[in-house]
Amino acid sequence: MITVTINRKKINLEKPVTILKAARMAGIEIPTLCNHEMLEPFGGCRLCLVEIEKMPRLQTSCTQYVTDGMVVWTETEKVVEARKAMLEFLLINHALDCPYCDKAGECDLQDVTAKYGPATGRFAEGKRRHPESFDDPIIVRNMERCISCTRCVRMCSKVQGAYAISMVNRSSKTFVEPFSGGRYDCEYCGNCLTVCPVGAIMSRMHRHTYRPWQIEKEADTVCSFCGVGCSMVLQVRGNSIVRAVPRETGGSNKGLLCNRGRFGYDYVVSSGRLDSPMIKRDGKFRRASWSEAFTYIAGRLKKIKEDSGGNSIAGIVSGRCTNEDGYVFQKFMRAVLGSNNIDSVASFGYAQAQRFFEGIFGQGVTANSMRGIPNSDGVFVVGGDPTAVNPVLGLQIRAAAGKGVPVTAVGYMPGLKIFAANRPMPKPFTETALLSAMVTELRNIKGISGKGLFDKLIKDIPPVSLGEAEEVCGVPSKDIRSAVDALSRMTNPSIVIGMDIIRRTEGQANLLLLAALVSLLNSRIYLLSELPNEQGLTDMGCLPDMLPGGRHLTVESFRRRYEEFFGVDIPSSPGMGIMEMIEAAHDKKIKALYVMGEDLVYSMPDSAYVKAALSKLDFLVMHDIFMTETAGLADVVIPSLSWSEKEGSYTNLERRMQIVRKAVEGKGMEEWRAVSEISRLLGFNMDYKSSGDVIAEIAKVSPLHKDITYEDMTGECMWPYKGEPLRHGISLEDIEMPDKGSLLKRPEKDRIYIGVDKPLFHFETLSRNSEALSSIAPEPYMNVGKALAGRLFLAEGDSANVSTAAGSLKLSVRVDPDIPDNSVMVPDNFGDKGVYAIMQWKVNSALKAPVTDAEGVTIKKMKHAAEEVAV
Amino acid sequence: MEKILLRNIENPDSADINEYIKAGGYKALLKALEFKPADIVGEVRKSGIRGRGGAGFPTGMKWAFASADPKKPRYILCNADEGEPGTFKDRPILEKNPHLLIEGMIISGYALEAEYGYIYLRGEYPAAKGILNAAVEQAYEKGYLGDNILGKGVRLHLSVHQGAGAYICGEETALIESLEGKRGQPRIKPPFPVNEGFLSKPTVINNVETLANIPYIIEIGADAYAAIGSPDCPGPKLFSVSGHVKRPGVYELPMGVSLRDIIYNHSGGILDDKKLKAVIPGGISTPILPADAIDCPMDFVNMPKHGSMLGSGAVMVFDETVDLVKICYRAIKFFEHESCGKCTPCREGVGWMRAILERISGGSGTAGDIDLLIEVSNNITGKTFCPLGDGAAMTAQNFIKHFRNEFEKKINNGSVKRAA
Repeated sequence: MITVTINRKKINLEKPVTILKAARMAGIEIPTLCNHEMLEPFGGCRLCLVEIEKMPRLQTSCTQYVTDGMVVWTETEKVVEARKAMLEFLLINHALDCPYCDKAGECDLQDVTAKYGPATGRFAEGKRRHPESFDDPIIVRNMERCISCTRCVRMCSKVQGAYAISMVNRSSKTFVEPFSGGRYDCEYCGNCLTVCPVGAIMSRMHRHTYRPWQIEKEADTVCSFCGVGCSMVLQVRGNSIVRAVPRETGGSNKGLLCNRGRFGYDYVVSSGRLDSPMIKRDGKFRRASWSEAFTYIAGRLKKIKEDSGGNSIAGIVSGRCTNEDGYVFQKFMRAVLGSNNIDSVASFGYAQAQRFFEGIFGQGVTANSMRGIPNSDGVFVVGGDPTAVNPVLGLQIRAAAGKGVPVTAVGYMPGLKIFAANRPMPKPFTETALLSAMVTELRNIKGISGKGLFDKLIKDIPPVSLGEAEEVCGVPSKDIRSAVDALSRMTNPSIVIGMDIIRRTEGQANLLLLAALVSLLNSRIYLLSELPNEQGLTDMGCLPDMLPGGRHLTVESFRRRYEEFFGVDIPSSPGMGIMEMIEAAHDKKIKALYVMGEDLVYSMPDSAYVKAALSKLDFLVMHDIFMTETAGLADVVIPSLSWSEKEGSYTNLERRMQIVRKAVEGKGMEEWRAVSEISRLLGFNMDYKSSGDVIAEIAKVSPLHKDITYEDMTGECMWPYKGEPLRHGISLEDIEMPDKGSLLKRPEKDRIYIGVDKPLFHFETLSRNSEALSSIAPEPYMNVGKALAGRLFLAEGDSANVSTAAGSLKLSVRVDPDIPDNSVMVPDNFGDKGVYAIMQWKVNSALKAPVTDAEGVTIKKMKHAAEEVAV
Repeated sequence: MEKILLRNIENPDSADINEYIKAGGYKALLKALEFKPADIVGEVRKSGIRGRGGAGFPTGMKWAFASADPKKPRYILCNADEGEPGTFKDRPILEKNPHLLIEGMIISGYALEAEYGYIYLRGEYPAAKGILNAAVEQAYEKGYLGDNILGKGVRLHLSVHQGAGAYICGEETALIESLEGKRGQPRIKPPFPVNEGFLSKPTVINNVETLANIPYIIEIGADAYAAIGSPDCPGPKLFSVSGHVKRPGVYELPMGVSLRDIIYNHSGGILDDKKLKAVIPGGISTPILPADAIDCPMDFVNMPKHGSMLGSGAVMVFDETVDLVKICYRAIKFFEHESCGKCTPCREGVGWMRAILERISGGSGTAGDIDLLIEVSNNITGKTFCPLGDGAAMTAQNFIKHFRNEFEKKINNGSVKRAA
């Protein structure tokens, strides 16, 4: 026990903390500027100087740790004078342009000066001049306001790991600058904005539009851009979002955001927002009233159900819909339309992976807190760059690496490049061989009892030697060996799995190999989730064979429970998944498709195929906030509300449940509300007044969500909540043992493969509507490796044609030495300029997931316009 | 006195390893390798040698701290970032006697069980870089460096790293940051480098001159060494004398020699036999002494009693013609230029001091400027992150303390001129 006395107040501490922390714990205020909760102590601003008995000099309380018996004074004349002196110093070169500065009102320097500073300064010389920099589209730098606290630099390097900015120059000429010069070449996380205590670095998105005290409303909500679900606050003035800021405590992100969350919200005010229901007649949309639209939908669906049966109707829900939307929709599909044909894009890999691992290890096996990653003793990442797909989860991996935890990153992961200790780079789509060799080696090292059901299965996996793997995937045996050695020493590792490894011809083999790794290493599983509520939708029963709460539809007792609750029978056999629905639409096996917010044409491979399939439908209903390509094909379009305009809940990839709150009024309607209206017209009463009524019903009927309320979701609302998770027995019957040939499948000789790039700055096709994100990354591109670029005479910035049997795209070229040879990566975010526009339709029949690993392309360099003229 | 640190430097080939060996070099290393590492640490401790970089911290104690830390590997760094204005005492060792330093580092490395050493050389010593690199290469060739030194199973790898021209990198933690490839700024202490230094491992950083003393301590033994110079602060010391003396240069003299002796005896007295006005005895950061205060023994223990400090032993002599206000302005301008920018008082305050001094020195000072200068410097003193800011503040304070009339005269003359 340590006892420290601060201003006569005795404080007892279990372990030594800094004087500053001890004082704050005791409610004693010490002003600081360079100190920040999220950063290591720095000791630069000297504002927190205190007097310690028996120490001749004043000490900075942010760096000095308490010792037993220490006596500290924070308000002596000496301390008060020192503070005044520091503030006088800080202000001599500070612009003091508060009337003009956006930070005024929430400026730390302004606050501490008002409270502790001298009333006047004695500096008679000219201040430092430094013109404000508008070189960047998003961030404006005003170095006349900078007080060199270095919080931004420390955030950028030590927490974000982007190493994009630095202090430049010395003495009072010190300032902050990106290494790239004027425009930032960074991850645009904006976490530097969070920590800047003054108006030195600010977002241009809300420049001069409001004063902090003019904020009328703050909505405490979660981000809608990926499965991490960062908690954030939307600040509102005059029914428009002026800023998105992180919440400093709580959530999984603890005060961090990524570029999409912080700047991407402006899609909600994009000009293309739908504001009225539209009905298409004679090939033309015309505006309709809500009741007209609902009556029309109800009438058409009723007719189709009567004529062709419920099974001819299918529904797809977007991963951006809330739990409430998902629950009501699956109830509508099952109880009202009599169809289990319900699915979402979670079935592009996430749901399958979860089901696979849960089948082996039990329900909830993927529900792990992200913050466990830095506390593990090793991290293995495969199947996509977490720092791009789930950026804030990616930061946890960087934090782990920063603590010296060995990270193994398999494949192209630019965001982990400087953090991963091992970076095996297999040839395009040959991870299966690599994983097989690793399992084989680990199986030998760790030994298998062979007693458990899954152990038996691991034993049966055909052995693959390091040499065999090397021959196929090109990763040198010694590198595989060192990755295996690193893994085998771990006692508490984390395995982070991206969906790219599942969207493969050998997707199921990959899952089996990963499960074997998990079992052999006794590791935690993290599934990367590309959408904010993929997990919620699977938990809400938006799957063809699952009911809410993770209950199998085919188990009669489970089904009975819902049938009794709904008061109607539910079809007992599983429905179609999303891939089957598209194929069934092609074959005219389904007549009507009800889509809530998913731009199917561009969110799955083969736009032409999907478009053709949707065109064959008798009836397509679409909810969306924009007139997307898919909405354009619909018969009725219902305007939705964006995530910032409605209430509800999301479940993130950790299976943490969090509340989405309304920040502004929108012109659309919540999906659950529209669906209930239609349901009523079809004779099935759904009487929800608010999303709260929906969650109350979920809490009543879903065993997993038993008794859950929104109040529960304000804290750490982690799986299994207050509910009853299902502890499965191991169900291994469905697992097909791959043969050795499929584990060692080589890439086709001389084939250039195309892969899906998941860039940090974009999200689905939605982010195209964000001016901010588009200004950071306006252009579609193709990413090629150095060797291939060399063979094709391609250089950075060239334009080239990349074509498949399905079509071709003219894209600008980026050269990245880390891209595996003979492959090209194209992002999927640019609609008709995205990779799915030219990728052919291929389904993994075992997983019912898309396959994106088999496409061969030809790349042709385009001549510059000028040259063409010359020719 | 027999020359130890500057032994053989009149020989034009003194930097060559063969010449060095011919003059008795590397014998101390052979002797040292007969001892246990801990015994060498004990011997250095017993010798009473204090670090020659300026702070005078007992070297043996520093070594003992690092040796007591179990973390490995350990590092031995040589601080050759000789940047204190007026100081050029290490330069003859670096350029003329590099093997003495290397031998000192090998012995230190052996004593500390450090297997890697770096010489952090100031950016403005380009000649020394080539000489040191050649010397290191020779030492490798002769088997004094490498994985198996002289076949005794001792390992030390040594390389020379040149700084980019920052005074602050002479501060040991800033030096480490710089060596790690980061911006040269001091670190929070504790942890001290002896526990968490280079790459967070136990690290001893010694000045060039300190390390150059080590072979001699081993050669003649701690007791004999302790008998040289001042009792509390023994050993030979290099003094770099500059300014208005007849024979400026580097002098190797026993610790405790009087300042008067250095100026009037060894350096031949004041140039043109003018009157002495003031002396800065140990580099620009040490307090200036007026002409009547030079009867003081030059060592770490006694100088503070006489109103100044030994510092780096850089004696700067000013005769009666010198404009001390201008000197003060120039000194503060240096400190402003070299302020790393980490902490507020140094970053902003020293620049402010420079601005005031620029005014006074340029003849446009006003009546309150001297007091303002003192207040600003007081607001810096004791509040900075590292001693650089303190050094700047103290420099100005001491100039004013002893020569306030010169500042006043400048201000008065200036206002008379303006009135006219």
